[in-house]
Amino acid sequence: MQNQEQRFKFTGNGTEYFGIWMVNLLLSILTLGIYSAWAKVRRMQYFYRNTWLNDASFDYHGTAIAILKGRIIAIVLFASYSIFLQFMPAVGLTIALLIALIMPYLLVISFRFRLYNSSYRGLRFGFTGSIKGAYFAFLALPFFTLLTLYLLAPFTHQRIKAYQHSNSRFGQSAFSFHAGAGGFYMIYLFTLLQLLLIAGLFAFGGYTLARDSIASLSREAIVGIVVAAYFLLILASLLVVPFFMSRIQNLVWNHTQLGEHHFSSTLSARGLAWIIFTNFFLIIFTMGLYKPFADIRIARYRVEHMALLPAGNIEEFIASEQQKIGATGTETAEMFDVDIGF
Amino acid sequence: MSTSAFNPVISDNPVTPAHTLGAIYYDGLSSRQQAVTLRIAQGQLEVQGDELLRVIPLADVNISAKLGRTPRLLHFKDGGHCEVSNHTDFGVLMQAAGIHEKSLLSTLESNWRYALAATVFTICFVIAAFYWGLPWVAAVAAERVPASVALRIDEHFLDAVDDDLMQPSKLSTKRQQALSKRFDSLRNVQGEVAHKLVYRNSKAIGANAFALPGGTILITDQLVKLAGHDEEILAVLAHELGHVHERHSLRQLLQSSVVGLAMTWYLGDISTLLAAAPTLLLETRYSRNFERRADSYAATMLSANNISPSRLADMLEKLESSHADGDKDMEEQSSSITEFISTHPDTAKRIRALRGKE
Repeated sequence: MQNQEQRFKFTGNGTEYFGIWMVNLLLSILTLGIYSAWAKVRRMQYFYRNTWLNDASFDYHGTAIAILKGRIIAIVLFASYSIFLQFMPAVGLTIALLIALIMPYLLVISFRFRLYNSSYRGLRFGFTGSIKGAYFAFLALPFFTLLTLYLLAPFTHQRIKAYQHSNSRFGQSAFSFHAGAGGFYMIYLFTLLQLLLIAGLFAFGGYTLARDSIASLSREAIVGIVVAAYFLLILASLLVVPFFMSRIQNLVWNHTQLGEHHFSSTLSARGLAWIIFTNFFLIIFTMGLYKPFADIRIARYRVEHMALLPAGNIEEFIASEQQKIGATGTETAEMFDVDIGF
Repeated sequence: MSTSAFNPVISDNPVTPAHTLGAIYYDGLSSRQQAVTLRIAQGQLEVQGDELLRVIPLADVNISAKLGRTPRLLHFKDGGHCEVSNHTDFGVLMQAAGIHEKSLLSTLESNWRYALAATVFTICFVIAAFYWGLPWVAAVAAERVPASVALRIDEHFLDAVDDDLMQPSKLSTKRQQALSKRFDSLRNVQGEVAHKLVYRNSKAIGANAFALPGGTILITDQLVKLAGHDEEILAVLAHELGHVHERHSLRQLLQSSVVGLAMTWYLGDISTLLAAAPTLLLETRYSRNFERRADSYAATMLSANNISPSRLADMLEKLESSHADGDKDMEEQSSSITEFISTHPDTAKRIRALRGKE
């Protein structure tokens, strides 16, 4: 028996997606945002159906009405929060507290929705995480993280990923998660070092300027320096963010299993940074019209750096799934008819 | 079932099909792939494979709408489905069966002419919404914000800046009252406007005046001192009253929140930092328009009281030079407050316009 690596493939195409994206945008604007729920279904279906593994594609089954309901709930919550915060801060803060209290519950609902409405080879994914577990991971732990001045942040991140991944299933097979907190601490540490390095360079530059010549500089020159600093900051975030994103995704997926089978994720910080960097400038120069091409590029990069490592032969993996009949029924479908898209 | 699927239209006398089509069948219970052949006869879909024969009424088949070149999916009520990758053959099968596919969405999405038209239309629509739609909506909404609520914003603003940026005024009560009284005694031909004058001392901000959303007009001691003549102060106050009259601060607050939200939505997933830059640029446009309107309001009010509008122009000049060579740390004001003097390049234009009204 040999482990044939099964790479994920992405067949989405920027030109083709541009038409879909533009029609989605236009209809969403014309219907004052109502169509955006239908737009999301089409967008998700386009990306899922263009994601392939072993000659079969994924599919998305979310219904637009469910998404619309979720969006209305989210808008009502956040609009009431921001309006009251402006005019009656006490009420606004109470609403914020309320949102924080129900957030874990909303997250569980949206995970269930997202996974239940995803399928591969006609089999649905699912989410079995408990509400209690969600309150621990998304409310209790973040609260303690604040108390420890973020020293607990990598641990919390690990617990959140463990909660998500070890409570997911595909058909009858359960996913499991095996990354410890140590790996998360390392990534956070290196990210922090990069940030400190950048901050140090900024401080050094500012100090040099202040010592030498700031008083003699014209107003225009100072504005120029501020603008330059702003762009440098964006550049820095374009370097640090891809590093963090790629390392976390690799760590998480390289330690996730589906039954006996492993995954491999080989995103490189440099590759991701290049895509994010060029996407960023192309979107600016095209006044946003490059957005659909950018979405396709980043999706292709992320998908095609993932692979499934079957414990045995891929055909055997599929065969083993075949015996687990009665995996999913439609009876649960109506339960998750609200999608709060976070 | 997917709501994006279209309902097949079956014609009255379907042509007997000679066409078959290769597809992949999944039963929805296992991940097994089965190669099948599809046929449509007498309103029924036949799915035939090596170990499989299903005949399903077409009415029970949910055919996914066309979406780019992704496979067409035929979902059955029991959770099973077929995948068809060959779009051309699928079209032939459908046509032979007398089913006319009408997918307006897919036509719009896949034809470059429509996509181009949609692009042009969307761009025009967004520009129109920004130039006319949003200011109109903000003006209507601002009219409907209760006065008590708007006043509360003023209180919050004053709470936020007092002690930190601003201190109690050092002008004598007598001087304050005299100025307020003189301003209130001006005839206002453009209708009475509820407002409240407050005085503050602020070294940090320097000579300036603000109209807050609820009708509070704030004037700094530095501005009172900078003025060579009381009519210059009255001119500034008249300008601020113009802002209050047209609820500029409230409208600015609403407009910039919407622009900020839209920008964050559009660019937020790239960089929140980046989203802030165009937002600021777009807001500047709105505030220039408000300044011109307030200038013209003040000019009318001043002329009606036999005060020359050029008093406002004089004050603008003085303020500009005082800010140019004075402190440079005045950049961090809240964008929601309509301020009297800012470093806009069109101050010179405003001055010329006011002098022209003499």
